[in-house]
Amino acid sequence: MAKIIVVTSGKGGVGKTTTSAAFATGLALRGIPTVVIDFDVGLRNLDLVMGCERRVVYDLVNVINGEGNLNQALIKDRRVDSLYILPASQTRDKDALTLKGVAKVLEVLKKRFEYIICDSPAGIEHGAIMAMYFADAALIITNPEVSSVRDSDRIVGMLAAKTRRAINNLEPVKEHLLLTRYDTKRVEKGDMLSAIDVTDILAIPMLGIIPESQSVLHASNSGTPITLDRESDAGQAYLDVVARFLGETPPKREKKSLFTRLFGK
Amino acid sequence: MNLLSYFQNQNSQTHNTAAVAKERLQIIVAHARRQRDPSTLDCILPHLQQELLEVVRKYIMVDDDDIKINLERDGDYEILELNITLPEQELAKNEK
Amino acid sequence: MAALELKGNLLTLMVLHLLETNIDNIANQLAEKVSKAPMFFQQAPVVIDLNAVSDENGIDLLEVITVVRHSGLIPIAVRGGNSQQQEMALSLNLGILTNTIPTNECAPEIEDPSISIPSQTKIVTQPIRSGQQVVALNGDLIVLAAVSHGAEVLAHRHIHIYGALRGRALAGVNGDSEARIFCQQFNAELLSVAGQYMVNEDLPEDLLGKPVQVYLQDKSLKIISL
Repeated sequence: MAKIIVVTSGKGGVGKTTTSAAFATGLALRGIPTVVIDFDVGLRNLDLVMGCERRVVYDLVNVINGEGNLNQALIKDRRVDSLYILPASQTRDKDALTLKGVAKVLEVLKKRFEYIICDSPAGIEHGAIMAMYFADAALIITNPEVSSVRDSDRIVGMLAAKTRRAINNLEPVKEHLLLTRYDTKRVEKGDMLSAIDVTDILAIPMLGIIPESQSVLHASNSGTPITLDRESDAGQAYLDVVARFLGETPPKREKKSLFTRLFGK
Repeated sequence: MNLLSYFQNQNSQTHNTAAVAKERLQIIVAHARRQRDPSTLDCILPHLQQELLEVVRKYIMVDDDDIKINLERDGDYEILELNITLPEQELAKNEK
Repeated sequence: MAALELKGNLLTLMVLHLLETNIDNIANQLAEKVSKAPMFFQQAPVVIDLNAVSDENGIDLLEVITVVRHSGLIPIAVRGGNSQQQEMALSLNLGILTNTIPTNECAPEIEDPSISIPSQTKIVTQPIRSGQQVVALNGDLIVLAAVSHGAEVLAHRHIHIYGALRGRALAGVNGDSEARIFCQQFNAELLSVAGQYMVNEDLPEDLLGKPVQVYLQDKSLKIISL
């Protein structure tokens, strides 16, 4: 049964798109058929981070409106075999998305893919609700910083109230916390909230910690998902996140990951 | 690695990917501007489709969905493709 | 799709009770109150209660409204007052709220809280997140998790929080001055019992993060560790 995962945060600029690209690529690297959908209609960026911006012809809104079919809109990744991207429209706005339309697209994708990753726009309005509505699980992206933590808390509340699973009294959306842009030095100096502080406040299980890293910027500059850069600390941390998400214990590394040091798993 | 080479390495790497980023953005921004520019085909496509449909309808009754218009780019060429599916009855009438 | 929806809603509103008619005294005392927590009062809607001055004719409602607006509050309605005062309020585009203060001649027996409404306790097991509001009507509210920053819990009677209180907690919202707030970890943004409130700037620092209880004593909030 295909799983729908929303990557969400409330706050902008915390790493939703970077994570969507890295996480989807990480799953696909294992040969799992995966599609990543950009829900940020009007401000699409996933195509840039995935490096397929020049191959966008049709988009999510075109498919919903029947102006193009799904096969025309899906972009096959050139580096990883089982990875596809469904871009957002740049010329429309978020109101172009309807629950009925999104449901229709997801139904078709479910037959073809095992994982459907939904990259949510920032905010708590229509676009973010469209991205989270059908989710089975959520990655909540949080920076160790007060406004991001509060916005994440707000989003967790919405996952428990405004999603299909919540409205139909089904098993709730499974929540995973992903802490990004984590700077151990600043935490040790007491300048930054620690991972323990954040889990304490948000009270949802931690899936991984991604260190603040130059390599993330380099990856988006060149349009390469960070999980393809096996040398980078952030890339490795994302691969561990994928492993933990699939219920595995990530391989031991020479240098212990932040997650292992803090949560000992 | 000595201190100097550390900085050089840092520098060259940052410089490289920043240059790549700039190039990629230039292309995408130029493309987006062209789409907003009323003199290009992308922008007039929906209107073109609507007007063509109206002309065709003067003679043959066709549905909105029966007219497909497509713009393809191949290097320097742009190919405008127009597809009209005629209803079978109309065709039969004309053949008589 | 419907363009709008009209719904009844129970809101917590600040009420400004006018106790005398001297505009200078009103202006001075209001300015002093506001200066204690300017952010809290900034653009907060307020109802002006005229019950104590309904026998007085010397009050100029326009002057009062001007003073209140000047302080940063936004007057939205009046409550009570005589017909002349209410007419003045209407002409100033203010609403008239029905008088909810029970008076001797019109207090029906039903209003005795001990017999009319059975007390109902509400239990919440999940964390209350930022932006969420939980209201316990006619009874206690028990929360078995944390109340986040930006979340709000209200109860007609006591509030018990077996986790951290980081948001706003308002007990005795119907005026029950016996109501109390209990919490395991005290980091509230705002506390209120029967309309007496305290914002986080005024909270005793030595109690932050500790288990506390909050209750009313001589019309002011008492916070003591448990």
